[in-house]
Amino acid sequence: MEYMLKTVGLDKTVTTSEGQLTILKGIELEIKESESVAIVGASGSGKTTLLSLLAGLDVPSQGQVFLGPYELTAMNEERRAKVRGELVGFVFQTFQLLASLTALENVMLPAELKGDAGAQQQARDLLERVGLSRRSHHYPNQLSGGEQQRVAIARSFASSAKVLFADEPTGNLDTATGLHIIDLMFSLNQEFGTTLVLVTHDQRLADRCHRAINIESGELVQGVD
Amino acid sequence: MHFMLALKLLRRDWRAGELTLLLASLVIAVGTVTTITLFVDRLQQALLQESATFLGADRVISSSSPIDSEWQVKASTLGLRQSQTLGFLSMVFSDDRAQFSSVKAVDDNYPLRGKLIISDAPFVRGQPIAHGPKSGEVWMESRLFPSLDVGTGDVLDIGVTGFAVTQVLIKEPDRGGGFESAAGPRVMMNLADVPVTEVVQPGSRLTYRYLFAGDEQALQDFERWVRPKLKVGDRWLGVRQGAQGIGNALDRAERFLLLGGMLGVVLAGVAIALAAQRYSLRHYDHVAILKTLGATPNGVDSIFLTILLGLGLVGTLLGSTLGFVTQMGIVNILDSVIPIELPGPGFRGIWLGLITGFICLLSFALPPLLRLRATEPVRVIRRDIDASNVSDRLTYSFAIIGTLGLMYWYSGDFKLTLLIFSGAVVATVVLSFVAYLMLRSGRILGMQAGSSWRLALAGMQRRGRENTLQILVFGLAIMLLLILYLVRTALITEWQAQIPKDAPNHFALNISPQDVDPIEDLFDDKKIKAQPLFSMIRGRVSAVNGESASERKRSNWRQRQSEGGKGGGGPSIDSSRNLTWASELPSQNDVIEGSWWAQDYTGPVLISVEKSFAQNGNISIGDELEFTIQGQTFTAEVSNIRSVAWDNMQPNFYIIFSPGGLADFPATFMTSFYLDKTNKLFLNQLLRQYPTMTVIEVDAVIEQIQSIIENVTLAIELVLVLILVSGALVLLASIQASMDERFREHAILRTLGAGQRLVLGSLFIEFCVLGVFAGLLATFGSEITVYALETQIFDLEYELNPALWVIGPLTGMVMIGVVGVAATFKVVKTAPSTVLRELV
Repeated sequence: MEYMLKTVGLDKTVTTSEGQLTILKGIELEIKESESVAIVGASGSGKTTLLSLLAGLDVPSQGQVFLGPYELTAMNEERRAKVRGELVGFVFQTFQLLASLTALENVMLPAELKGDAGAQQQARDLLERVGLSRRSHHYPNQLSGGEQQRVAIARSFASSAKVLFADEPTGNLDTATGLHIIDLMFSLNQEFGTTLVLVTHDQRLADRCHRAINIESGELVQGVD
Repeated sequence: MHFMLALKLLRRDWRAGELTLLLASLVIAVGTVTTITLFVDRLQQALLQESATFLGADRVISSSSPIDSEWQVKASTLGLRQSQTLGFLSMVFSDDRAQFSSVKAVDDNYPLRGKLIISDAPFVRGQPIAHGPKSGEVWMESRLFPSLDVGTGDVLDIGVTGFAVTQVLIKEPDRGGGFESAAGPRVMMNLADVPVTEVVQPGSRLTYRYLFAGDEQALQDFERWVRPKLKVGDRWLGVRQGAQGIGNALDRAERFLLLGGMLGVVLAGVAIALAAQRYSLRHYDHVAILKTLGATPNGVDSIFLTILLGLGLVGTLLGSTLGFVTQMGIVNILDSVIPIELPGPGFRGIWLGLITGFICLLSFALPPLLRLRATEPVRVIRRDIDASNVSDRLTYSFAIIGTLGLMYWYSGDFKLTLLIFSGAVVATVVLSFVAYLMLRSGRILGMQAGSSWRLALAGMQRRGRENTLQILVFGLAIMLLLILYLVRTALITEWQAQIPKDAPNHFALNISPQDVDPIEDLFDDKKIKAQPLFSMIRGRVSAVNGESASERKRSNWRQRQSEGGKGGGGPSIDSSRNLTWASELPSQNDVIEGSWWAQDYTGPVLISVEKSFAQNGNISIGDELEFTIQGQTFTAEVSNIRSVAWDNMQPNFYIIFSPGGLADFPATFMTSFYLDKTNKLFLNQLLRQYPTMTVIEVDAVIEQIQSIIENVTLAIELVLVLILVSGALVLLASIQASMDERFREHAILRTLGAGQRLVLGSLFIEFCVLGVFAGLLATFGSEITVYALETQIFDLEYELNPALWVIGPLTGMVMIGVVGVAATFKVVKTAPSTVLRELV
């Protein structure tokens, strides 16, 4: 298999009170295994929508999305969820930790959902890896932004994901913390051999990737190596 | 796998306080239902037991001949206690006087329920005693003492035997208000002494009463067994058939208590639905995250179903315990107020509470939770994606089916269920539309943070949909409370009107025509309130349209049996009756078919027949009835059929003739009058002066009815209070559910510099306006529902309640304004940053 992610003629339109609005149009792209790709573009250009289509969080109006051996666009939500659980990890700008769970419990979740034994040990190891083993029993609101994002990164690797999707992972963090998070993400990425797809405004982040995909008004402009 | 995860999430949600409101609503719901059910159950049993004293038993078979001894054997094998009485009319004699009296011979087990009251001297209060006179003794009613000129210790002759008069009979439990049974003053003797009197001869008119008491199940088994065996002239009496005047009151009270329980369940359901709604709103983001991590929709369902079941288990158990304890507490507190002894609580109430809890949970909490499965995972990136697109139809069908099911289960009355339900639906549809229009009229720009008023009104418009819903919930809660209040008031008013404080409590019979004027003068003189005098003649129907009345009775009875109807019951058409004539329709009588004759009617003799008498005899308008009065026969045509309020303790007649219809027969007259307890000795004077006259005292019976009605009234008030409490809880839950959005908005306003006064003021105004709308909705809804209830279920006259249109909205405003502000006080007390952080 040459690619980990592939799209064919991907369109996304939504209906608004002022008629049809095209968000993405004719997106064709391929991302190889273990490749890291940054999706860049201005606000409202459609990068986040593209990310959610690639990850199977949303469905396109037209076209196909292939993730690993699966065609996401031919699946219902039930099966897409299973694929996400099997192949995909996420890091979000707003961290998206469950407020009622401790750091450790948040990291345990993906394995628990899969029914894996040993979820707890794996979660401890990952927290240790992101340097938060001492904060494992703290709740998200007791952690700083950088710490919360480290928990989120630990969680994204807890599912033994093949593809990691990151949506503005440094968007809510100061420069120093942001850099630290970038380092952590890339080193884990390398360690686990995951494919990384991230949406960002942060040039430093885009520069660390193998290539960047530029989107303008919903259309792919060019691929930069 | 999801099971363990669900349990963990349940534990974690609990730790984080996410489940408190839902659990509290559930506990309160189950608690209220259990409390009401247990209490109502115990009260019902107590009222029935109390009322059973009117029969002297739980069930009675009354017959003109002895019953098959096999029946008594069957009753014994079922473990029922039994007693027997024999009633007959006979002359009784003292040394130099004689009096026609109604003799009742009782066995040693009599009475099975209630007590006899006896004393040493006539016309005093007396003490209770559990058995009747011993062999060789008789007890007599007070007024026989002056009329026979005897005292206790003297001898009274019945037939050929003399008996010692040992006690004055003040009251017997099953004397009843029935007019015919009380044709003479009472003499009570032992059943074993009847043969030696030689009074009972072949052909004597006798009333055998067989009394049964015991376990309700055994009684029902016995009834099922014996009913088909009843012969012509046998009557099966339960509390309801046996005691006119209270059967109706009890029926209505029971329906009211059921109605109360039912409304309690609905209120509880609404509280649960609101809490579950809030819980799932706060979990959409959770679910979206879980989904990005690989949770499937089915997985989400199983997680939240497990949480729901776990919660249900804990909630219902806690709730039933709470209900049981509360109910015990209420009973303890009310011990001194409730004059009757309550039987122990049964398990039924606890089961009902538990099952209700789960049904509530499934029909009210499940739908919002099921919507979670449809949460779009992309919500983790784009918060503006709407939470769910599960059809509202599913949600509403669950709630509607659940509500209908529960209401029907509670009341066992489909009509009642449907009435309340459709009342609520009509009110909801009409008023949600009106409320929405009012809230949406003219869009206000911006937040209008300049003044509390404008801020409040703009806020209400912005949240138009949510507020419409909230008005509906508030309105529904207030409506249910108003319905209960209105029905309760109507019932109590009706009962008080049925037997007013100074209702006639004595009947005077056998007044000869020449005594009419002097007696009226005497009443005037003593300022005694008396009814006009009726003429009264004893006679019976001997044929209907040429067919013998007894033959007709038998063929009607056979026909009813073959149609599967119950035997016995109702007036017998060929029995001897008191007949009267009247130019005007007596009060509390209603012509239901045909028409009443003109006041100056002089044509051929017409008659008016009472409804049940007409039904039993299969008599319709235009039929010719042949009467035998004092050996003469003549016919009269039925001109109308009448319903009679038998409960009213007034002289009532099955058959009334048109004026002049009985003119050929020497009549005696009767009347009824009110005599205060302290005036009882007036009876002696009256009887001395007019010795041929018979006085029937029903004051004790009336007093008993009034006391039962007081108990029932009290029970109704208690249930009303319980429901009020659960209504208030719904209000709280509803306010709580709408809190997050308000918190966020006002926290932002405060960071922008809005003062406490502005924020609190606008909240207060917003809640007050919501309250007024809700009150209007409630008033409208309760008026239509109460109209339907009173006319269809409770047989009451409906009256519009103009005051309600002011009270309803005002109550809504005050209640919701105060509760709302009290509950939202936190908005201004909590630091805005905390609020904003908690509500990301």
